Amino acid sequence: MKVIPIYIEAGISGFESPAAEYKELGLSLDKLLIRHPNATFIGQASGVSMQGVGIFDGDLLIVDRALTARNGDVIVANYNGCFVCKIIDKQQARLLSASKHHQPITISPDDDFQLEGVVTRSIRLHHQAPELKACMV
Amino acid sequence: MYGLVDATSFYASAEKVFDPSIRNKPVVVLTNNDGCICAACPIAKRLGIPKFTPYFQIKELLHKHGVVIRSSNYELYADLSERMMTVISRYCDNQHIYSIDESFLHFDRFNKAISNWHEYGHQIRKAIWKETRLPVGVGFGLTATLAKVANHAAKKLDGFDGVAVIDTIESASPILQRMNTSDIWGIGRRITKKLAEQNIHTAFELAKQNPKDIRQQFSVVTERTVNELTGISCLSWDEVKAPKQEIFSTRSFGQRITNYNVLNAALASHASIVAKKLRQQSSQVKKLMVFASNSPHDDYYYKQAIAYPFALPTNNTSQLAQAVSLVLPQIYQSGINFYRCGVGAIELAGNKFVQGDLFNIDNTNPELMKCFDNINKRYGAGSISVASAGQSEKWNMKRHFLSPQYTTNWYDIPKITC
Repeated sequence: MKVIPIYIEAGISGFESPAAEYKELGLSLDKLLIRHPNATFIGQASGVSMQGVGIFDGDLLIVDRALTARNGDVIVANYNGCFVCKIIDKQQARLLSASKHHQPITISPDDDFQLEGVVTRSIRLHHQAPELKACMV
Repeated sequence: MYGLVDATSFYASAEKVFDPSIRNKPVVVLTNNDGCICAACPIAKRLGIPKFTPYFQIKELLHKHGVVIRSSNYELYADLSERMMTVISRYCDNQHIYSIDESFLHFDRFNKAISNWHEYGHQIRKAIWKETRLPVGVGFGLTATLAKVANHAAKKLDGFDGVAVIDTIESASPILQRMNTSDIWGIGRRITKKLAEQNIHTAFELAKQNPKDIRQQFSVVTERTVNELTGISCLSWDEVKAPKQEIFSTRSFGQRITNYNVLNAALASHASIVAKKLRQQSSQVKKLMVFASNSPHDDYYYKQAIAYPFALPTNNTSQLAQAVSLVLPQIYQSGINFYRCGVGAIELAGNKFVQGDLFNIDNTNPELMKCFDNINKRYGAGSISVASAGQSEKWNMKRHFLSPQYTTNWYDIPKITC
């Protein structure tokens, strides 16, 4: 069978959308929320000690390793082999919680401590995300 | 100036990035199907844990030292590798990613802008550590081979702090004296043995040889290596970046295979991997090797390998899968418990200059393959595959000690205590 590769106008296609040439890329949350993609990871908050700054159990934390933490920043640290989210008090070498039920933790030289990154954003999922269902338990 | 940046025990280090509980512990990573140890972190190395040893043989030793064992988590390594390479790319406008954990750099245009190479190396190290939590070694050298030498020194020799610079011939000598010929890039086992017969044991002794003599006894390639060791650039940047000459995909099974169709599916999957790698480096295959065997420990060892020549070179997944199906009747034998199989592109051709054929039509369909690759890139490897690769999980990998895929799977993102 021979096929002639020519398009034939059917005449009922209507007008081309006048908006077609204005089409741009949609808004990207990644672009808004992540400044250093190679240095950023996403973690999930577990616990209630940071509710005072609006971080609730199950929230997503965007952690940027490229930034240098300033005093009072919300950070993620390796504290004795565990990732913790706290407010850093550099002057007194303390980890502060944002809740009156939690005491500040003083970092001693015996502790295993490393700053892992600055929490630049936290995200509340007001409606459950199926991908994360298992994590919310 | 050339540079070489590579991660220290990349797989083992990658396991520590998102698991702070094992940062100070000895960690080893096992190969496919948890067969052998393929990476050991520096702490594990200091305990004397040998690499490339079958896991079952040193299970006891690992247990005794409390070594953390992990299966190869390729999803995690691929993601971390990409991050690391992007950080490195900020430090040189001419980067060649040589393998999953190493990058060659060629400083050509802004050579003179860098006044202190040692300091520059530390800047690179610091940035990679801060942003990805991966430890790296950095070597700078007058030639690509000397950059490799410097990198070896930076990571393996005492007295270096992760960075080594060979900016004069004199600075190379003390390092070369402490290296075996086998440690030199491009000097394989056979050449090492032949050199040893002539009483050439160290890299320093090799560098002292007359290049012409070496060429007569060995090859042009070895002659070049000698020249490169003395600071004479023989490898052009294009040769450093030369595409691989052979591409293999091979693996042992988690479970023995006796079924014809399951073996075909496994081989078709390997063919797909080879085809994808061919496309990545803009090569095509002229001759494909297809092989399968049972275990050498079985009573009767069976191995069969068949070469399939293509009329026209190709990198089309479906053509490779088809070739596999065509030769399988010559490989398969009922009653054999197949343990291992693979596919190898053993003769390659570049994409650029392809000799046409009057009697065979080129139907490699690059547009379709581009679309195919893009779909898998966008929606995850395996989202689209050739039907013959099947859905069977049976021959898939055994990964008993797999860590979470922290950066590529929502289910696995790290938990942070608040």
